[in-house]
Amino acid sequence: MDFERSATDAAAEADAADGSPPAVELAGVTKRYGEATAVDDVSLRVREGEFFTLVGPSGCGKTTTLRLIAGFEAPTAGTVRFFGESVAGVPPEDRDVGVVFQNYALFPHMTVGENVAYGLNFADPPGGVTRDERVADLLELVDLPDAADRDPESLSGGQQQRVAMARALAPGPDVLLLDEPMSALDARLRERLRVQVRRIQSELSITTIYVTHDQEEALAVSDRVAVMRDGAPEQIAPPRTVYREPATRFVAEFVGDNNVFAGRVTAVEGGGKGDDDGDAASPTAAVDVGGETLRVGVDGATDVAVGDRLTFCVRPEYLRIDGGASRLAATVASAEFLGETTRVTLDWGGRDLVVRTRDPLSGDIVVGFDPDDAHVIDVDGA
Amino acid sequence: MSNRRASSLRDRIEGRLLTALAVLTSVVLVVAFYYPVGTVLIEAVVVDGAATLAVFAELLRDPFYFGELARLFAGESPLAVARALLDPDRRLGIVGFTAYQAALSTVASVALGLPAAYLLARFEFPGRRTLRSLTIVPFVLPSIMVAVGFVATFGTNGTLNSLLSALGLPTVDLLFSLPAIVVAHAFYNAPLVARVTTAAWESVDARAVETARSLGAGPIRAFYDVVAPQVYPAVLTGAALTFVFTFGTFPIVLALGGFELATVEVFVYRLVRDLRYAEAAALAIVELVISLGVLLAYLRYEAKNAVSARGARPLPRKSLLPSAPTARELLPRVGLAAYAVVAATLFLAPIASMVLASVTGGDGALTLEHYRFLLERQQTGAAFQVRPWPAIRNSLAFASAATLIALPMGVVVAVLTTRRYRGRTLVDAAAMAPLAVSGIVVGLGLLRGLVFGVEVAGWRIAASGAVAIVVAHAVAGYPFVVRTVAPGLEGLDRSLIESARALGASRARVIRDVELPLVWPGVVAGAAFAFAISVGEFTATVVLATGADAYTMPVAIERFIGRRLGPATAMGVVLLVVTGLSFVVIDRLGGESRGL
Repeated sequence: MDFERSATDAAAEADAADGSPPAVELAGVTKRYGEATAVDDVSLRVREGEFFTLVGPSGCGKTTTLRLIAGFEAPTAGTVRFFGESVAGVPPEDRDVGVVFQNYALFPHMTVGENVAYGLNFADPPGGVTRDERVADLLELVDLPDAADRDPESLSGGQQQRVAMARALAPGPDVLLLDEPMSALDARLRERLRVQVRRIQSELSITTIYVTHDQEEALAVSDRVAVMRDGAPEQIAPPRTVYREPATRFVAEFVGDNNVFAGRVTAVEGGGKGDDDGDAASPTAAVDVGGETLRVGVDGATDVAVGDRLTFCVRPEYLRIDGGASRLAATVASAEFLGETTRVTLDWGGRDLVVRTRDPLSGDIVVGFDPDDAHVIDVDGA
Repeated sequence: MSNRRASSLRDRIEGRLLTALAVLTSVVLVVAFYYPVGTVLIEAVVVDGAATLAVFAELLRDPFYFGELARLFAGESPLAVARALLDPDRRLGIVGFTAYQAALSTVASVALGLPAAYLLARFEFPGRRTLRSLTIVPFVLPSIMVAVGFVATFGTNGTLNSLLSALGLPTVDLLFSLPAIVVAHAFYNAPLVARVTTAAWESVDARAVETARSLGAGPIRAFYDVVAPQVYPAVLTGAALTFVFTFGTFPIVLALGGFELATVEVFVYRLVRDLRYAEAAALAIVELVISLGVLLAYLRYEAKNAVSARGARPLPRKSLLPSAPTARELLPRVGLAAYAVVAATLFLAPIASMVLASVTGGDGALTLEHYRFLLERQQTGAAFQVRPWPAIRNSLAFASAATLIALPMGVVVAVLTTRRYRGRTLVDAAAMAPLAVSGIVVGLGLLRGLVFGVEVAGWRIAASGAVAIVVAHAVAGYPFVVRTVAPGLEGLDRSLIESARALGASRARVIRDVELPLVWPGVVAGAAFAFAISVGEFTATVVLATGADAYTMPVAIERFIGRRLGPATAMGVVLLVVTGLSFVVIDRLGGESRGL
């Protein structure tokens, strides 16, 4: 893997093998408001039928990116394409997108049925069904078959959210855009609803772009995730890759708990070009972190040399008590009981480490990890 | 891929509708406001085809207008002028007197309005909501009717003197005196002060007061530190508006002060009647500059000191019944009771006196002779005499027509001024200017231009007085439509509009399907406002109703008032009923909207 490569290039390359044009493509899209840059030269491709998630902290530009796709905002620079064709200057009503907002935005002066039917004023119901049949089908799809005559405000938040989904889907849009659709709901309901959203998306196999600040939600529902920071994606990859092989330190720390280390490489052992043995052991780098030598698997990072500065991470679940090749003597600083596990913060020579355990810990302990459980984030040549 | 329909012809027409209405609105504004006002203003600086400031210079140096200050403009030393101003025999001139009575009226309005705000914001009692909505009445109450009420109360044979002579006391003649004008102005503007102050007081967050109390401030200290700073900008708003309104006062002074106590606006009217147009225009400009100066100074102050407290938990209201016989519980309530007596007298007496006078004969007995007089005059009156039916018919017809024009204008401007784009403030200011310019100037401009005829590319275009009155009323009333509709549009969730657009609705279609239905009460309230304003409009109408047949109820009342108070009050009652109905509509549908 080439560590200097930017996240956007990786995404473009991932699509190169696939012949069909992407359902949604952003090419060098920038959005500025006066001096402030909300979206900074973003390029990404969303495949047809894909569930694609933009995730990041507030202010990272994810919602603005979605609004640029919907047509509520015009890019300062760059192009948005739908199925290979530029949509520059096309107003939102002509883009064939369905949008669901965080606050549901149901029309309060219309019934649930009228809300769902509203888009059918401007589009024929897909599949040759009548308007009423289409409304009934969609309310069925979101498990609210008897809600058509109800007043939106008489529904619970979760129900309103489902009506908003049905309304957005009714005209049969090409792309479904979801802007933090669940942030106003409580945690348990959110988990139930995201399963339902994913089920509906798979059933219709509709291209979906989902914006959330909740990294756990992003990992749970998506085919691919773009982790955004300061107006641009840092990594675009499937959830497993983002979690296991974060491309940057920011991604490593934003997605899940993580322990990030950095230090000089003092030796590289095993593997390498000179090894003619077909299945040689993975090369390992010895890294000096705060005077302690830690052994890190550098599989793929072939150009690691002595003297390089290496940044790597070890997930809390890979830090084993009294185990592993590299051992760290630390002191328990604090512990949070989470039910299933306990998240323990350790003090290792003035640095914080996070581990997860089932049993309570206290006092001085030793934790360790194997070279293969460490993931290299960045190599900086000397 | 797409199953979205191509846009139909109807959609395309709808899409253009907004643009078309915006263009029409601009045309109406130019024809009925900017062009006429412009011609009047030009008249003041162009004499015999040459640009000159001579008219102004003369005006500024004339002690008749500027009193002792005129000597300053004439080049005398400021010290001598200052000494003359401190002299008890100082002359104020017409402009000085206008400012003086406006200042007195402002003080009176604030003094009368603040206790009402205290009562409305801090106490709970039956009828509180009704009382609060009644504070909007002055906006729709025709000022000429207030004048009739005051004549009926304080006139030589008014209620007050009947009461005094019944008690064996000497009668007083308050009419045509400064106190009568100031009290009438307070009647008109105290509710405005009370309204804006109550709104600010109600938006004070109880948590802020509770925090101050928990940090050690006593109740009075907490009031000074937390409540007062949030309330007093609103008091200032009320005061600034009152000053501007009373500075440009016309019907009340015309009816209660006559030409002896003329204010600037009354004198402009007199100059117009004497056909001294250049002088009238120059004086009107002086008035406009002073009014706008006060407004601008105030707006700058407001912009610097704006405090917004949204989503606050309001202070809990107290019961009007004291919970304990302590001084702190009793004093404010006794004070409010005394205030209630004064306020009830002041606010109810003119209306009650007017109704009473309309059914009281010369001998003091109850009679319907005044109404009968109106009917007889209708049947037998000569063509040159003011007859009641044309007045009523004209009022209703003009008001309906003016509302039909003002409504789309107001909605379009509300839509345009609640969107975000560069130059929005300019559009807003240009659209709201009719609120600031005197009706006399608009009326005069329309009279000299549209009514007397304009030559455009060889065609002579002239409108009847009736048409000019309708457009003048529409222009005067439509800012109120904007003010009732715009806050609703502004408050609409953006995502509602964006949802509709993503579902395929064009921008114009969203206005029709989503925005207007959601702000509909504001639109209806705006229509009621426009109607009431037109029915009560006097200033521009009296200038334009030169012909025998274009007079409205307020003009008829003014023509009756000097000679026959009885019929004037009877007509006043008719006017009261019409505007009362408008008020009920406004109150039911938009009285609580934040626009006013």
